[in-house]
Amino acid sequence: MFKKFTESENVSGVTQVKSSVIRNIRADLLEKYPPLKEYADVILPKKGSYKMVKCHERIEIIAVNGEPIFFRQRDDFYPTLRLLHKYPVLLPEQRVDKGAIRFILSGANIMCRGLTSPGATLSPAEKDDVVAVMAEGKEHALAIGIMKMSSEEIEKVNKDIGIDLLHYLNDGLWHLTDIK
Amino acid sequence: MAEVEAETPSPDVDEDEVVNKDVKTEKKQIQCPVEVVYCGECSLPVEYCEYHPNYEKCKAWLEKNFPDLFEKLTLADEKGDDQKDEKNKRQKRGGKGVVKTKKKTEPQTVTVARVTRNKKKFVTVIRGLATHDIELKKASKQFANHFSCGSAVTAEDEIVIQGDVTDEVIEFILKKFPQIDEDSIEDLGDQKR
Repeated sequence: MFKKFTESENVSGVTQVKSSVIRNIRADLLEKYPPLKEYADVILPKKGSYKMVKCHERIEIIAVNGEPIFFRQRDDFYPTLRLLHKYPVLLPEQRVDKGAIRFILSGANIMCRGLTSPGATLSPAEKDDVVAVMAEGKEHALAIGIMKMSSEEIEKVNKDIGIDLLHYLNDGLWHLTDIK
Repeated sequence: MAEVEAETPSPDVDEDEVVNKDVKTEKKQIQCPVEVVYCGECSLPVEYCEYHPNYEKCKAWLEKNFPDLFEKLTLADEKGDDQKDEKNKRQKRGGKGVVKTKKKTEPQTVTVARVTRNKKKFVTVIRGLATHDIELKKASKQFANHFSCGSAVTAEDEIVIQGDVTDEVIEFILKKFPQIDEDSIEDLGDQKR
């Protein structure tokens, strides 16, 4: 999603978010990510400047005090990697094997084989779940994606795309760090 | 720093395992927010530096800033040394992971020009400020405040100030942005649009 994404080209506007809108977003987020509750006041402070960054292709990014924390395309919100690194509890994890890392870092979707091989761990998840993609031998997440099939199906089919990649290390959103 | 170390439970006991598989059990003990050390060269978390084309630079950076972390990572590296040749071969397929590195533009000369508008009115056009790591939007506001006139960022790396302020603006730039050398500012004089 953010493979070819630059601030100068893909951002169409930055606006201050109304407090009533923030309230809605906050409720949405808490519903979607229950683990967020514990840290809600730290991640989404009551007093803070909330900015909505509107981008092309209906992508919107929410930034608190200049730091992007969530993004969405159309309706669902997803955390950014920087936030996920700080709060790894937000998302369930899938671990891929070592060989897959370099492909993911260049933006490839995750194939089932990379999830079922010996170095990987496939934890149970449903289709369309948002997951953090971890890697064999690494401590931090390297991407965020959506399950294209449920874990059982991945095990059974063992072919084609298992996780659709949304956001990965070193992509356009990763480099969007400071929002004015 | 202390927090980073706290993530890996007792590194001296099972150092071999930490590298490979122990990360999962570790997870549950992690206190939020976790502090992640990002590489100053490639901006990735340090453990992913090896997938960056400028790995050598990252290594140097890490050695300088986080010597203890560096040691840990290189230890893990040597371990996987026998796999490394294999990995190098594999690199050819699917590219080199992250290929793109941001090109830094060379600082260019700043040019100041006077452009005629309406035969008797002028605007001052300044180009080349962005290459000196100056935020154009802020600079333009400063110009506007200082000369009490309109000023706008009109294109990538171009600021237009309303009114003929050519000489003053050169002085002002030198004063405000000390990183710009006097020799690197050029007055182009009158120009046509």
